[in-house]
Amino acid sequence: MTTLPARPAAPTYDTPESDNYLIHDKGFLSWILTLDHKRIGVMYTVSVLLSFLVGGIFALLVRTELLTPGRTFIDADTFNHFFTLHGAVMVFLVIIPSIPAALGNFVLPIMLGAKDVAFPRLNLFSYHLWIAGAICTVVSLVMGSFDTGWTFYTPYSTTTSAGGVVPVIVGAFILGFSSIFTGMNFIVTIHKLRPPGMTWFRMPLFLWALYATALIQVLATPVLAITLALVAVERLANIGIFNPAMGGDPVLYQHFFWFYSHPAVYIMIVPAMGIISELIAVHSHRQIFGYRFIAFSSVAIAIFSFIVWGHHMFTSGQSPLMNTLFSAITYSVAIPSAVKIFNWICTLYKGSITLNTPMLYALAFIILFTIGGLTGLHLATLSTDVHLHDTYFVVAHFHYTMMGSALIAMVGGLHHWWPKITGRMYNDKLGMIACAIVFIGFNITFFTQFMLGSHGMPRRYYDYQPEFQTYHVISTIGSYIMAGGFVLTAMYLIQSLVSGKRAPANPWGGATLEWECTSPPPYYNFHEAPKVGEPYDFSNLQWDERGEGYVTVKPTEAKA
Amino acid sequence: MMSMLTMLTLAQTADGPTPPTFWMPTGASAHAPSVDSLMWWVNFIMWAFLVMNTALTVYFVWKYRHKVGTKFRTDGPTHNGPLELGWTVGPVLICAVLFIFGFKGYLDLSTPPKDSYDINVTAYKWGWQFKYPNGAQSDDLVVPAGKPVRLVMRASDVLHSCYIPAFRVKQDLVPGRYTYLWFQSDFPTGMDRPTDGHHLFCTEYCGTGHSNMNRRVFVLPQEQFDAWATKQANWLDEIPEEELYWKAGPKLFARCVQCHSLDGTKGIGPTWKGIWERVTGGAGSGNAFADGSTYQSLIGPGKQYATPEDYIRAAIFSPGEHLVQGFGNVMPTFKGQINDKGIDALIGMMKKLDEFDPKTGAWLKAPPTASAK
Ligand code: HEM
Ligand SMILES: [Cu+2]
Repeated sequence: MTTLPARPAAPTYDTPESDNYLIHDKGFLSWILTLDHKRIGVMYTVSVLLSFLVGGIFALLVRTELLTPGRTFIDADTFNHFFTLHGAVMVFLVIIPSIPAALGNFVLPIMLGAKDVAFPRLNLFSYHLWIAGAICTVVSLVMGSFDTGWTFYTPYSTTTSAGGVVPVIVGAFILGFSSIFTGMNFIVTIHKLRPPGMTWFRMPLFLWALYATALIQVLATPVLAITLALVAVERLANIGIFNPAMGGDPVLYQHFFWFYSHPAVYIMIVPAMGIISELIAVHSHRQIFGYRFIAFSSVAIAIFSFIVWGHHMFTSGQSPLMNTLFSAITYSVAIPSAVKIFNWICTLYKGSITLNTPMLYALAFIILFTIGGLTGLHLATLSTDVHLHDTYFVVAHFHYTMMGSALIAMVGGLHHWWPKITGRMYNDKLGMIACAIVFIGFNITFFTQFMLGSHGMPRRYYDYQPEFQTYHVISTIGSYIMAGGFVLTAMYLIQSLVSGKRAPANPWGGATLEWECTSPPPYYNFHEAPKVGEPYDFSNLQWDERGEGYVTVKPTEAKA
Repeated sequence: MMSMLTMLTLAQTADGPTPPTFWMPTGASAHAPSVDSLMWWVNFIMWAFLVMNTALTVYFVWKYRHKVGTKFRTDGPTHNGPLELGWTVGPVLICAVLFIFGFKGYLDLSTPPKDSYDINVTAYKWGWQFKYPNGAQSDDLVVPAGKPVRLVMRASDVLHSCYIPAFRVKQDLVPGRYTYLWFQSDFPTGMDRPTDGHHLFCTEYCGTGHSNMNRRVFVLPQEQFDAWATKQANWLDEIPEEELYWKAGPKLFARCVQCHSLDGTKGIGPTWKGIWERVTGGAGSGNAFADGSTYQSLIGPGKQYATPEDYIRAAIFSPGEHLVQGFGNVMPTFKGQINDKGIDALIGMMKKLDEFDPKTGAWLKAPPTASAK
């Protein structure tokens, strides 16, 4: 089969200008009011990346302040505002929407072989809600910002004198609805818009992951919305719900909050795992190992994630019996995660591996998620968690999972689909260098925080004991290195927009449907209805020298 | 694995605190060795998987690298029943064992012995108050060695959390309910040098002074502890009236210094500098309260407070009554914590602030060696 000549037809990259979604309409309004899922995805991506910049600047300010015990350059209150803003921006504006709403929006319909999502108007509305939520955050900043931590624990959050608590709660409430609508849209799209031939088990694993994520978004987010609404009511109307001074119960708040926020961490990681499945399979050019397991485990993790929230409250004063049950159930989410990692590693075995930027990010993910997930065991184990809870150990754990895993997967996915989204190739060498810098900087920053935490350094501390300083200094230096890696990434990506080589339809040799349409895709995604095949069957792909991309060698066509 | 775990545990019941290791700080409670050995095992599991995963990943990526333009391999397996079963059951077993040991440790941690010695703890923004059965009070925690100690804890404003890393224990303090924490430490620390004792931290974020709620935990042999507690309960009584303001004043002021300065800087509360002039109608007394009243309108015969002393006393016992303009209702009440003699000492200090170091609050006439203790 492989001896057959490549299809002689004119390569698609010769005339990308003929029609693509980027040039189909022109002008600001054609973007901001577009119903095209691809443009919405692009706008989300840009917005999320800008928010990442803002959240990242706050992070660097926090790390810089922590260079010395006591005051380095800002006072305690400013520090408290900065770490709160960092956390809230990163969680609500960056990581939760980053994969589903940004990359998912762009990729999902194309991968599925559909023209758009099921409800394009609702999709645009989700984006507008995101903007509204972001504006609320800015309003909060103007009104005095907030210093509650991203967790808004009561009664601190209902009594603090910081003036911006209510606006940011309104913002998070609105962002919640943005997330719910995206989830609903994806569920319906996957159920209803699969073209003929796209059976559930022919769906690429990224779609399974987005589907599982959407379930969590739809089922968990309303609880957050209600909880935050109750906090606002308590602050504004002085009705005692969570504040014991008015007859409320602060531990109840924690139950509500984590009932959402534990599943929310799976809103972050499940789609990230989906991306990794794609990256590993495509860049190893081989059928993924254990397809069904990976597909079902996404859904299983989504379901389990609803019954482990109490592991955030082992020292909160909830009963020992509850602690015991929650500890036992928590391990249940660790196992599918572990097995997924083994599946990915086995996919590398006897593959045909091309090492490029997206693949390097996927490999970084495997290592960082191994650390992030396994340190979850320290925290799920009751007697060690009592020591580690609310120390830097937890901070390190969730940075390994949220940043080292979810965000790294997002950046890897961005590099994977960048040629498709923009129609341009970036400098792969610089990409790999930047990825290595980020990886090294990340580990310097956060591995030291495990050490800090297990030695007893509490989190959210402005001032600390001198014995912790060495670790803090190393961690801060790591964060600067990491920032350098991201700046380099931004530079070569922007450069690629200006002068990058034109991207072929299929630069990596992927077999899912998005690699069949041109780069960038036409307005309606496909000129003709795509033929749905196996998502991870790479046997018909062949490298084409002239186009510097892969082309499909159709056995039937070649015979003619 | 189980027998090795017990061995490790036994090996550490030595006759001194365990020294700090790469992962853990010094361990000085009966509970610490079991936590540390469990921690050691979880770390071991983490490193084992990390090394295995990383090595396989790197090896496969190198071994199966693809040369552009050549044919893709198609011989990679897509399933392997026994392998998949094995790597599911293996982690399940590991998790089960971890759960059991974590649960065992936690059971000990959550069941204080019946004969434990109770200390009442109140956390507030931003400090701790420890009260002992004999009426003694302290800002640092002092406990008897070789005896189970139970902390009966509550918070007076927002959530706080009591964390003693050397004992491997932690428990939140929740306003409106009691929570408990117990430990036993067999190793006296002394309490004379600043480096003596262990850290006690607040680990539930509580605002501006969150990171300054660190205190010391001192472990004393029983007789020494008893002597300390007796002295602590009566320390004010033993001070003669004329020495009260400079002996007791700075010690009591240590509880105020978080928010009040002596040198005129604005803190979370108003500075004490010039306070006596203000309340007696001198300079700065025009400063209005948030409710519009002034010192003159509140203090004097027939007014709400007959004397300036009455006003000061009320400001310490029910701080929210009249808020000085520009400050929030954040000061906790000290009713039941400072007695009348203590109030006298503080007022005496306010009257003669120029005798005290405006930075540290130490009495300037004291010979340099006399410490505040
Ligand atoms: C592999 C399975 C995992 C297990 C067993 C696990 C377990 C835990 C436990 C027990 C805690 C509570 C620690 C404490 O507060 O004392 C925790 C905290 C946390 N975990 Fe995980 N985790 C896992 C994976 C993840 C993933 C994948 C994410 C995110 C993408 C994540 C994000 C977080 C966050 C954000 C927190 C703490 C949030 C806070 O207190 O601010 N975890 N984890
Ligand atoms: Cu969780």
